[in-house]
Amino acid sequence: MNHLQPSGTPAGSPTKRSFKPRIVLFQCRFNHYSTADLQQIENLTTAHVKCIQVPCAGRISPLFILNAVQGGADGIAVSGCRPGVCHFKQGNLGSRRQLAAFRDLLIHVGMAPERLRFVWMDPADRGRLVAEIDALRAAVQNLGPARHLVTRATLPFAMEVN
Amino acid sequence: MNETVIALQKEAARLLREKIVDVVIGFAEGSVPLRARPVAIRRPEDANELVLNSLCGNNLATYLAHRPAKERIGIVCRGCESRAVRALVIEKQRVRDQLYVIGVPCRGVFDPEKILSEAGEDLLWIREADQRVIAGTPAGDIPIERRKLLHDACRRCRFPNPVGADRVIGEPLAPCDPNEAQDPVDAFAAQDAETRHAFFKAESARCIRCYACREACPMCYCSQCFVDHTTPRWTETAISAAGTQAWHLIRAFHQTGRCVSCGACERACPMHIRMTYLTDQLNRHVANTYGFVVGEDEQQPPPFATFSLDDANRFEG
Repeated sequence: MNHLQPSGTPAGSPTKRSFKPRIVLFQCRFNHYSTADLQQIENLTTAHVKCIQVPCAGRISPLFILNAVQGGADGIAVSGCRPGVCHFKQGNLGSRRQLAAFRDLLIHVGMAPERLRFVWMDPADRGRLVAEIDALRAAVQNLGPARHLVTRATLPFAMEVN
Repeated sequence: MNETVIALQKEAARLLREKIVDVVIGFAEGSVPLRARPVAIRRPEDANELVLNSLCGNNLATYLAHRPAKERIGIVCRGCESRAVRALVIEKQRVRDQLYVIGVPCRGVFDPEKILSEAGEDLLWIREADQRVIAGTPAGDIPIERRKLLHDACRRCRFPNPVGADRVIGEPLAPCDPNEAQDPVDAFAAQDAETRHAFFKAESARCIRCYACREACPMCYCSQCFVDHTTPRWTETAISAAGTQAWHLIRAFHQTGRCVSCGACERACPMHIRMTYLTDQLNRHVANTYGFVVGEDEQQPPPFATFSLDDANRFEG
């Protein structure tokens, strides 16, 4: 996410058939730390998923999410630890209140509720993240490309850069 | 001059004479019609400058956070201001013992734009009667119904009476029905997403980034605002769609569970941008989810300053 990109109209929206949802995943690093899980996330990046690892869900500022929304993300997933198992004890509890309110605000100004998904899970939940991303992608595929609140030149994704 | 103002002046003079406070913050007559100006009174003999009427549009609690820490302040507080004072004390911006809250029940303040649209641009003066306002114009006096002139935030005010005041001047008033107060935000939320987004887009597009809303707000006291931050730069600071939308969303978000719904931001806005539909929604969210209403309790911290394992589980989907 380049903060210094100038505003501009987003690139022309693709037709429904060619539409590949661009998904941003904010991922607590203590949520998935085994090699197998990291490999899974690596694989996701080839499927239009941009993974941003953070030290804790408590690190995720609503401004990160707004930045992704404005930068043209079609779907956003926030993955943190389930209440009670946070590596830092309480980081996810603070962010739970804030992010839930922020999601409410984005919906209030016209974002589709399906576009922002919270996945709060046990570190032992193998494979759940991939399933959640698939569900998010399916929901977003139905909605079509994000239009509301997209105000910036769109984000560079791994697939498109190459 | 009515008896409330006379009692207010006497009380301010007494506080300064007996050295209970160093300064009294209130309103004085403005230098142009339809405006009152905030004033800090330091000498008892200046207390007769104080006025209080429906043109006093600022929220006086705005001036508290940046006053010198040791200063003892007397402050004229209507309902919203007294709730802002409480919130500032909870957020440790002021020590309550060094404040003297002079409470005045409030019948609402006027929207200058509404006065001009009712009485015309040639307006010379207005005079308040009980339920009527007389507007003086070169063409003659025009009587206007009081309710028509009230600012939208005051029309749906739930807390006209000051809370936690050291002394209350005047009789308490009947509060507005809470359901009626919710009506505007409920009506907005009931529209479909396209309409809501179109409204938000059109409103924020008019923003000229003057930050008058921030300066007028009693709860915006940060020494460095997120929009002034340069490393990292959180949002665009230019007048662009991305920048103005981010400003309106995040400004409102930072007010979650702190906004006292006084409407000072909207009255300060030179572009007449609506903002309370955002803060009201967030306040409704915290009221429904955590039962928190700002200014209701003297101790309870704002919802984002605390958390609990037992919060409603909004983690799923």
